[in-house]
Amino acid sequence: MAGLALPWAQMGIDRSRTLVVAVPTDPGSLDPAHNTAELVGSEIILNLFDTLVAWAAPHFDRLEGRLAQSWTVSDDARSFRFKLRPGIFFHDGEPVDAQAVKVSLERAGRLNPYMRASFEPIAAIETRQPDIVTLRLSRPVPFFLSLLAQPQAAVVSPTAVARLGDRFADAPVGSGAFRFVRKERDVCVVLEANPRYFRGPPRLEHVIYSVNANPSTRRFQLENGDIDVSQQAGQLGALPMQDMDAFRRNPTIQVIEAPSQILRQLEFNNSRASSPTHDLRVRKALSYAVDYDGLVHGLLADSVDRAYGPLPTANWAFDPAIARAAFRYEPERARALLRQAGFEPGALKLDIYTFLGAFWGTVATFLQANFAAVGVKANIRQVEFPSLRGLHLAGQFDVALDGRTPWYNDPDAHITIGYLSSLASTAMTFRMPPDAALDRLILDAQDQTDAALRKELYGRVQQQLMARVPAVYLFTNRVIVFARAEVRGLRIGPAPPLTEYWSVYKRAQQADA
Amino acid sequence: MSRYLLRRLVGLIPVLALVLVIVFCLTRFIPGDPAVTLLGPGATAEQIAALRRQMHLDQPQGVQFLSYVWNLLHGDLGVSLKTGRPVLDELASKLPATIELALAALLIALAIGIPAGVAAARRRGGVLDQVLRVAALACVSVPAFLIAFALQGLFGSWLRFLPVAGRLSPYFIFKPITGFAVLDALLHGDVAALSDAIRHLLLPATVLGLFIAANLSRFVRSAMIQQLDEDYVRTARAKGLDERQVVYGHALPNALIPVLSVIAILFGDMLGGAILTETIFSWPGVGRYTLDAIRNRDYPVVQSATLIFAAMFMLVSLAIDVIGQRLDPRLKAPVA
Repeated sequence: MAGLALPWAQMGIDRSRTLVVAVPTDPGSLDPAHNTAELVGSEIILNLFDTLVAWAAPHFDRLEGRLAQSWTVSDDARSFRFKLRPGIFFHDGEPVDAQAVKVSLERAGRLNPYMRASFEPIAAIETRQPDIVTLRLSRPVPFFLSLLAQPQAAVVSPTAVARLGDRFADAPVGSGAFRFVRKERDVCVVLEANPRYFRGPPRLEHVIYSVNANPSTRRFQLENGDIDVSQQAGQLGALPMQDMDAFRRNPTIQVIEAPSQILRQLEFNNSRASSPTHDLRVRKALSYAVDYDGLVHGLLADSVDRAYGPLPTANWAFDPAIARAAFRYEPERARALLRQAGFEPGALKLDIYTFLGAFWGTVATFLQANFAAVGVKANIRQVEFPSLRGLHLAGQFDVALDGRTPWYNDPDAHITIGYLSSLASTAMTFRMPPDAALDRLILDAQDQTDAALRKELYGRVQQQLMARVPAVYLFTNRVIVFARAEVRGLRIGPAPPLTEYWSVYKRAQQADA
Repeated sequence: MSRYLLRRLVGLIPVLALVLVIVFCLTRFIPGDPAVTLLGPGATAEQIAALRRQMHLDQPQGVQFLSYVWNLLHGDLGVSLKTGRPVLDELASKLPATIELALAALLIALAIGIPAGVAAARRRGGVLDQVLRVAALACVSVPAFLIAFALQGLFGSWLRFLPVAGRLSPYFIFKPITGFAVLDALLHGDVAALSDAIRHLLLPATVLGLFIAANLSRFVRSAMIQQLDEDYVRTARAKGLDERQVVYGHALPNALIPVLSVIAILFGDMLGGAILTETIFSWPGVGRYTLDAIRNRDYPVVQSATLIFAAMFMLVSLAIDVIGQRLDPRLKAPVA
């Protein structure tokens, strides 16, 4: 067995400077070039590696330089020139230079299924000077900097990649605030502080990701102090209201909430002409039938925020006019619209497809009751994700309770993949029917380089989508982190919802920090 | 005995082959696609097709099956679709955790089940017998996850006496020697780690062991009642032998012979129970690994883990049969 000759010894870890973070699943690949944007692996990558730019805490509404000291973007958004910070080294002692950036981005574009399409416009990466990188694109991509802020675009040590080959994910080498120590599958990932980190050494000595799939067990562990943080990924697929109530009454635990861009909606199969929801009046009726306040404030106990339209309110392109024009709970109007569409009470029957799990089941049951109140009989069909995706791609559904987690911070991540009709059956989209005018507007908004004009275009996209009612927009999950009271400095990004632990410390450390 | 052993071992091969065929077919019948699961909701059809090609899932299923069998015959269990690591290595790293848990559970089951069965048999129809009957019924009928949560709440959260998850506290970081945490701690004389490992083992082993103990106690009770009614017991008592000697020296050894075969069957139940217990207690064993693999449609892992479970069950059954024959020569198959 591996490690037979090695002694078993405690590493002398100081608990007061160690943060134990409970995560619900084993991380996916810790190699940025193989990471598929799942939350646990992405967050570890964010702590092990650096990107050229990153969203700046605490508001995450502007980009700041990380490996890049400064950058310029050409007017046509086709050329990005980065000046790298001097004196930054990878954990293996090799310098971070322009060549390392080139190798990393080319590698991600070649190997990462998520980055392949995103980096396809990169025509050339120029590295004429060791501290200058210029990316030239074949077409304008206004949100390209957002892509470069993603964990999948992190800069890796080319020396380590060459040395380790396929095993790079087992011993990842970056330049981030923490260094990789070890990983035991389904048990833990251990990181230690990088004392040479360019922003200054982290205040924690170790971060230990402890894998625990069971929410009840994580709660016991947090109450006992066995773990310090129950990471956000653990709360996204569950209903944490009971935990929130209990933790809010517990002075040893803090509940940290942050807005996210995760959308939950009841989406219609907008391409299925035979569906009863093909009739706009039916889609509107179902939208009026939902008791949004009851859902957000009652059922989900304010652990979520109302979603009004295709963009969450935390997105910079969200148009406030959409919130004013959004559907409200008006069951009488819903009944009238159904009658107009030819559906007397009890005549309309629908299957609501959704994922497995209590969270989805509870929300679906609430919607089922809302629809029953206006005379619509809904059956709930909970299926595993691969099955739901199969049904979705084949268009074999009328309505599906579904969700979207954008993997980069831009309206494009919601709109293009969701609503462009040419992509209707390529992924879990809203399956929009052919609509040349809407498609053109979406692509114009995607390519527009002027930020103000781009926001205006996305405003028009939102208004047009609202008129088409492609879904009943329900709520956006708040990112919820449970932490011991002594944990300080947690800052959680909204899209994707990840945490950097560089700034985190425990209160006992405050005096000597 | 060696011919008998050889015959039984050879007999395992067609059973394992049948298990392999069934599991291969079942994994392909489950709706869903590993590439879809791995890439998540945002993936496009093109990305999924590329990953399917990379994982050879685009090949005909017959080819996939023959390729798997061919590799298996060469000692290669394949590569996990999720991690890209050899399944053999991953199973080898997780098997000690499951065996450790199963052995601890078995110890607890024997320590509770046999004395409880004997006590109930000796006080047949009495209050203790009734109490033990109700307790056994409760342990069998209450779902294991409820017992697990109750014990976690009591010992973990309220009394704060035992940890509720994992094999070791997260800040005990070490390189494994045998993979058995308790054994490794003993080998190194690390008292703190030994205590930590045992404390982590107690709750999951109790949950897993209680179900076995409950069943075992009922079988022991029946077997003991039968033995205590035998003439040789009456004779022993008539000779004035001490009651403890009669019960534990004469009746119990005879009662345990049929119980042995029951233990083999219960061991199979325990392997099934390990999946749930390991998940609730975040125990990094083969059970949890298999469940994750089923969720991820990680075909090579599901196939290989099932084969390992089947092989373990059959080998334990064989071992218990052999032990039973050693203890009671009447159980030997007649020689042709």
